[in-house]
Amino acid sequence: MSSNRPTITPADAVAEASALGRRIAEGARLFGEIRDADVQIATTPKDLVWTQDKVSLYRYRPLAESKGLPPVLIVYGLIGRYTMADLQEDRSLVRNLLNLGLDLWVVDWGNPGRAERFVTIDDYVDGYLAECVNVIQERTEREKVNLLGICEGGVFTTCYAALNPDQVNAMVLTITPIDFHADQVDNRPGHGFINIWARSLRPEDIDRLIETQGSLPGALMGSVFSMMTPMRTLTKYNLDLLDALADKKKFLNFLRMEKWIADRPDHPGEAAKQWLKDLYQENKLVESRFELSGRPVKLSQITCPVLNVFAKDDHIIPPATSRALQGKIGTEDYTELGLPGGHVGVFVGGKAQALLGSGIADWLSARG
Amino acid sequence: MDPFESVKAMAELWGRGARSFAEAQANMMGALAAGPAPAADADAAQKAQAAYARAWADAQAVATSFTGSLAAKDGHDPVAAEVLAKVFDPRGWLSATSEVDAALSRMAEGPQFADLFQVERKFAALTAAWTALRRRNLEHNTLMLEAWTRATGAFSQAVNARAEAGKPLESARDLMALWIETANDVLIETQRSDAFLASQRDSLTAATELRLAQGDLAEFYSRMFGYPTRSELDDLHKTVTELRRELRALKRPRRAGRKEASA
Repeated sequence: MSSNRPTITPADAVAEASALGRRIAEGARLFGEIRDADVQIATTPKDLVWTQDKVSLYRYRPLAESKGLPPVLIVYGLIGRYTMADLQEDRSLVRNLLNLGLDLWVVDWGNPGRAERFVTIDDYVDGYLAECVNVIQERTEREKVNLLGICEGGVFTTCYAALNPDQVNAMVLTITPIDFHADQVDNRPGHGFINIWARSLRPEDIDRLIETQGSLPGALMGSVFSMMTPMRTLTKYNLDLLDALADKKKFLNFLRMEKWIADRPDHPGEAAKQWLKDLYQENKLVESRFELSGRPVKLSQITCPVLNVFAKDDHIIPPATSRALQGKIGTEDYTELGLPGGHVGVFVGGKAQALLGSGIADWLSARG
Repeated sequence: MDPFESVKAMAELWGRGARSFAEAQANMMGALAAGPAPAADADAAQKAQAAYARAWADAQAVATSFTGSLAAKDGHDPVAAEVLAKVFDPRGWLSATSEVDAALSRMAEGPQFADLFQVERKFAALTAAWTALRRRNLEHNTLMLEAWTRATGAFSQAVNARAEAGKPLESARDLMALWIETANDVLIETQRSDAFLASQRDSLTAATELRLAQGDLAEFYSRMFGYPTRSELDDLHKTVTELRRELRALKRPRRAGRKEASA
């Protein structure tokens, strides 16, 4: 066995341990210095414009001269919060777009509880989202708005654009699943686990889960996300944290990301059933069989220009599940933008988030 | 902090990370179905426990042998040995000591329900559901323990391959990086397997069934004492949601009318 032993000597181990000790000591001091104010997220100034039930619509204050383009409504999903798009000043899609002169709005779905068990995707798209668009139209005196959907929010905007083509000037989709079975196209290990997991459940299991919980608990989805990167989950709060402690800026970034991850609302029950059964299991959206308020969502009825942004290394929404939109909509003005990084990295990664902001702004400017 | 304490702290941190991972999985089931622990057991649960014990023994044997083989032959270093022992300790992989031991204790120490009359069947259902959940959890833990054991084997092969290629590991960090990469691959492969998915689904179903049994009992007592029940509240929430939906639908034509008028 001696041939396969690492060449780590006791002296090496002690030296490494000493360095580790120094880093832990420095980290402890850093921990003591950090205050809540240092790790605030979603700090870009905005004003509450409209609210209904637990849903709120905000308008961001401009940071640059307006380009005069139709307003842009950011629509996040119900898994996670919109704050990811405005994590911190130097990693903020929101700030990047505002700095490029866009009129930016965002809908916050709030924190749905058990009382929202019976709220459906129909309610979110035909109800709340439609109300938001109407409010924006009235306030800006514009007939059409631009929609910017993120992940599940992209599915919402896709449905909205298909059902209300006369109200959408252009649509930007980011990391949005369209074909929920296309994870099998590339079938990369470690990618598309949610697709596999959702398909492994029986429909009645999902019904019973919602019956007992009233929602798809945020903690449950958090666990599924953790399982997608098993060793990362194991090393996150020790090795990764120790690495982050070596650099205050890096450490603050780490904490802000943790703050966003911890803020994972429960997904309203009936909407979760549609999400898991109609979409993840039965794949109705890409087949234009998904129905909202009794109307089929036909992708061919999307006539506005579409920019489809995907992350090349997205393990949560594999690229093929997003890119499936190509050729299925009723317009030739379809553009794809593949960015480096993963699901969240597109928004917060140094290189990708800069490309994302300018990519969206340039594309929208050409379609104003 | 002296070097020994530093390494000890690192090892503790590692253990904490392992616990958080295991808790993340346990939370999937546990957070969904926490509650009373009736004293009951069943053949299936015993079989699951026996299988788990076998897997546990295998994992410990592999870990002990492997850690021993990595330790320096001459000038045995207690610091490095401690870190390695922690990293390859099956207790850290599953955090089984806290989760499973507590579960088994609860099985043994739960209240006796035999003398209760009106709700006897509800409690029996609760007991059965609780036992089923424990059984599923043990089966799932066994599956995961086998995966961790496979990961250790794969890691051993990777270390061998590096040595044979003349590229031995030169630091504890390198060792750790190789372990992380190797174990990650094995775990991801496991999670995509039919056996894992079925086991996880069964655990989730068992947790849901337990929650339903708990809810049934809670409804019984709520009705008995005149408190609103979960199903009554759900009915109310359903009504409110439907009324809101109707209200929005009624407002829509009015808004459209205003728009047309102003156009």
